[in-house]
Amino acid sequence: MAVLVDITKCIGCEGCTVACKRYNNLNFKAKPRNVKEDGNVELDDNRWTVIQEFHGEKNDKLRFVKKQCLHCKEPACASACFSKAIQKDEKTGAVVYYPDLCVGCRYCLVACPYSIPKYQWNEQFPQVSKCQMCSERVSKGDAPACVSACTTGALTSGDRDELLKKAHEIIRSDSRYINQVYGEHEVGGAEWLYISDVPFEDLGFKEVTNVPVTSYTKSYLSKVPGLAACWALFLSGIAFYNYRVDKNRNQIQDPHDNDDQDKEG
Amino acid sequence: MSNKMSRRKFLKVVAGSGVLGFGVMASGCKGKPSGGDGWVSSQYEGKGDFPVNLKGRVAISATNPSIERDDEKCILCGQCVDACKNVMGVYGNYPLPLKQEIACVGCGQCVMQCPSGAITEKSHVRKVLDAIDDDTKHVVVQTAPATKVSLGEEFGMPQGTSVGKKMAGALKAAGFDSVFDTCFAADLTIMEEASEFVHRLTKKKDEIPHLTSCCPGWVKYCEYFYPELMHNLSTCKSPQNMMGATIKSFYAEKMGIDPSNIVNVSIMPCTAKKFEVAREELEVDGQQDMDYVLTTRELAVLLKHKGIDLNTVAEAEYDSVLGESTGAGRIFGATGGVTEAAVRTAYYLATGSNPPADLLDWKPIRGMQSVKEATASIPGVGAVNIAVCHGLENVRQLLDGIKAAGSSKWQFIEFMACPGGCIGGGGQPKSMDAVEAKKKRIEAIYKEDTGAEKRCSHDNAEIQSIYRDFFGKPLSEKAEKYLHTTFVNRHGRLFD
Amino acid sequence: MKVHKCFRILGWDFTITPTRFVLTGLVALMVVAVVLRLLTGFQYVTNLTDETPWGMWIAFDVMCGVALAGGGYSTALLVSILRYKEFHVVARGALLTSLLGYILVMAGLFLDIGQWFNFWRPFVSWGYTSVLFEVFWCISIYTTVLSIEFFEIITERVLRKKLHRYIVKILPVLVVIGLIFPVMHQSSLGGLFLIMKERMFPLWWSEFLPLYFLLSSFFIGSAMVTIETTLAKTAYGHEIPHNIMLKLTRIGAGMMFVYLLLKLYDLFEKHEWNYVFQGTLQSNMYCVEMLFGILIPLVIIVSPLSKKKGGLLTYAVLTVLGVILNRLNCVFTSMYESGSYFPGIGEIIVSVGLISLGVLIYCFLVENFNIIGDERAVQVKIDKDKDIKNLIWTLLRTKRR
Repeated sequence: MAVLVDITKCIGCEGCTVACKRYNNLNFKAKPRNVKEDGNVELDDNRWTVIQEFHGEKNDKLRFVKKQCLHCKEPACASACFSKAIQKDEKTGAVVYYPDLCVGCRYCLVACPYSIPKYQWNEQFPQVSKCQMCSERVSKGDAPACVSACTTGALTSGDRDELLKKAHEIIRSDSRYINQVYGEHEVGGAEWLYISDVPFEDLGFKEVTNVPVTSYTKSYLSKVPGLAACWALFLSGIAFYNYRVDKNRNQIQDPHDNDDQDKEG
Repeated sequence: MSNKMSRRKFLKVVAGSGVLGFGVMASGCKGKPSGGDGWVSSQYEGKGDFPVNLKGRVAISATNPSIERDDEKCILCGQCVDACKNVMGVYGNYPLPLKQEIACVGCGQCVMQCPSGAITEKSHVRKVLDAIDDDTKHVVVQTAPATKVSLGEEFGMPQGTSVGKKMAGALKAAGFDSVFDTCFAADLTIMEEASEFVHRLTKKKDEIPHLTSCCPGWVKYCEYFYPELMHNLSTCKSPQNMMGATIKSFYAEKMGIDPSNIVNVSIMPCTAKKFEVAREELEVDGQQDMDYVLTTRELAVLLKHKGIDLNTVAEAEYDSVLGESTGAGRIFGATGGVTEAAVRTAYYLATGSNPPADLLDWKPIRGMQSVKEATASIPGVGAVNIAVCHGLENVRQLLDGIKAAGSSKWQFIEFMACPGGCIGGGGQPKSMDAVEAKKKRIEAIYKEDTGAEKRCSHDNAEIQSIYRDFFGKPLSEKAEKYLHTTFVNRHGRLFD
Repeated sequence: MKVHKCFRILGWDFTITPTRFVLTGLVALMVVAVVLRLLTGFQYVTNLTDETPWGMWIAFDVMCGVALAGGGYSTALLVSILRYKEFHVVARGALLTSLLGYILVMAGLFLDIGQWFNFWRPFVSWGYTSVLFEVFWCISIYTTVLSIEFFEIITERVLRKKLHRYIVKILPVLVVIGLIFPVMHQSSLGGLFLIMKERMFPLWWSEFLPLYFLLSSFFIGSAMVTIETTLAKTAYGHEIPHNIMLKLTRIGAGMMFVYLLLKLYDLFEKHEWNYVFQGTLQSNMYCVEMLFGILIPLVIIVSPLSKKKGGLLTYAVLTVLGVILNRLNCVFTSMYESGSYFPGIGEIIVSVGLISLGVLIYCFLVENFNIIGDERAVQVKIDKDKDIKNLIWTLLRTKRR
């Protein structure tokens, strides 16, 4: 399940944020943890999606941008989690967090290139907090709650390839759009795709490369077993060599008897 | 060490590995993902593409001066979208992407249709209470005609109870320094507007049709969607603002009060008035005409906060100087009221004598029909075609019809944003039966008129004296300065 | 002559000094902070936020703590495998520091994780794509190995001799294992940062990060041994010959030189040289870290200053501070754009408390088991008077059989 966000169609009604809070039982009264200089509110443990407002240089392009987990195709958070508490559902594409497995190390918070996962800092037993793409709804083929609540058609959900095709068609047919679908290739691509008539860097989108960050971990970890084995062999070899040298030098039969010389510290 | 496996050892091994295996299985279970234990309404079942009539909600900017919303109460029922789109013709009537702002005329019909009370007016109650408590400030309050037949509902009285005197008494008890009647200012508006209309009919034909401008929701609507008709709008300020300007000039002078120490508060059935009082054009000599607006509901809150019960409060008269009103002024609250009042005085200005009986009880332009038409024959001027239209979607259709036809068959058109006129405003008491409430309120308003001593604005003695002592005559230089205004073309904020 | 109070309770020696009194106080404070943290979560005890989710407990306690505790493995490597017999004398002390360090790191980490009751999950729910998975397993296995090795020292005095002999038998295998895992997890601590490429300042992110962390953990080992032995000398009068320390340190310095070369190659290859002198906070911190932590120590070690005890100690202190700064830079400075952070009072109390606890436990173990110089240490201020010195030595000393 992918979602196409057409930024030109959003009027900032924030029905999506209300639907998200309703469906996930989040706390409406919680004060925002992070309010930026321009007044925009950031995601936090009670805000799994937010709408951020941008005005354009000449104040003639009022744009509202929905921010939430992009559900990457190569999620850094899922890769970083050492207890598999975050898993990408191959069928739906949703990157889902399972609090029962979570140890609370917060590696996913620092691993995510977009800084999406947030933490319940006020709880005695805190959990990670991020958009789950309404995993139960989506596994039935339903749309996420936010997409359902959208009246203007800014949010549409469906198959990723079809939405990409649709997005490129829209861009082709209307010259106002920037020729880029954000989320198509960024850090390996994501399920949430954005099209816009204002450059993405002016709308708070981070400029990232197309290389998935998991590839760096993968290339390192794939070398580890081999290197460790080589090192182990080397050490064993030297240890054995030393043992033989000692044995020959001391002509010992029973290693127990000579504590003084044979001891390793 | 014996390697023999005793029975005991064997059992231990089996039990141990069984426990271990179970533990491994149970511990690998990922359990339930977080989220998803809440609720969404069934409109949003499935892909959310069922052909429901209502879903989602309107956009409300944080800087909107009229209304605000508490997300926790929002159930995404879609009623606000229905009001804004189908009743008021605002939502969906401008192209996307957005330009400079989200279109909102502040009419408050979304407030009226919101079943959970998530959308409310932006409260001025605290500010007004602080002003009352401030000894250095002279707090003046004026009450709109529509509120006089509605406030009682907030205190359990039957719909359509007239509570003008009680309201004045309650306001005095609450600590306001002066209590005036917006109906007085309505008479003042009629003096100016009727004069202007007659002037246009005879001398300035390009400003015909004459469109009323006392409704701030309609004015903003015109500025957004029909800027080419802005020069047809009456240049008169709305009664509230005429009153405000008069208070901070004439009244302040008369009473020897520094205008900067005057705090002008109005009790209105309207949320768009909160937008209106902040308009930059509505100021004179560096002083904003009006300071705060309390809706009917907010006044009830204020009175209850002060422990005043409208049922038991002592009645009082409105303060003189700016307190006398005629029947014409009082009918402003209903759709068609402004027109009827204007025609009564226009007749007088054109002919020198008061209008005939049928114009004092002008049935064709009264009632809840969306567009009402009538013709008034004024000797010396001829037949004047009049239309009265309320509900902005109806206004849209009427004006689109005029644009398509190329000209208007009506010379005078009254536009009110809210269905029913001001008695159906966004600040009015909410009821289970809005249709009946509006009917009763309209009945009460016209009863105020038929029961009035004076039926025409020009007969108002205090009006006569204010012209004598201050403004001179309608449309004079002084009147232009204090009682007339200009408008702002907002079309470019929504359209290319 | 000063002899500090020494109590013998149930056969165990406890020495009380003013310093230890203070340390005990700090530990008590730490206990309060720990209870508060376990009862109320992070909000009162730490300054952690969504923008800076890793704080002092990770950056200092874990990253620096594991590096400092790594002094054990580098010494072990040189002593056991490369048979530098002259380093033998510091080996046990290094093992103890290592084990104690790792246990304290784990204690600190236990407090840092939000759902600490789930700490065992990665043992059964394998997130094998994560570098942290490797770190977790390696540290777990390594600490177990260290404990067993240390058990050998404990069983000299307590428990059954049979157990002691058994452990001695498998010790060589343990040592080999005990050299594989540190190499793995020290480098993987650096590997943790690989996934943060899009978030780290370019001066610190590199594909060589695991190698950098491995090298720095190695040369910090000898520096830490220098510092520890200096402290032990002041406390217990126990001395290691300078030339042994110098030889050990020179090997570390060799690694440091390799580290420098790699860093320079990296800078040029990625065309990041212009970042170094930009004058921003990141640039300046990088310069400080490289100058004081790498360049100056290298200069000291090749100069005649290294022949002096003071010179060697300066090298050691600068190196340790340099590595600590490098690790802190990786966690904080390189991610400065996300948000600024300063440790909360609770975090500082816990970290300081853990170190104090470590020192106290170290002192206890060193005074009750044969660790320093294969003997029980004595907290005595030794006077010039030889006779009395001999007397006390005879009274309190128990030589290892």
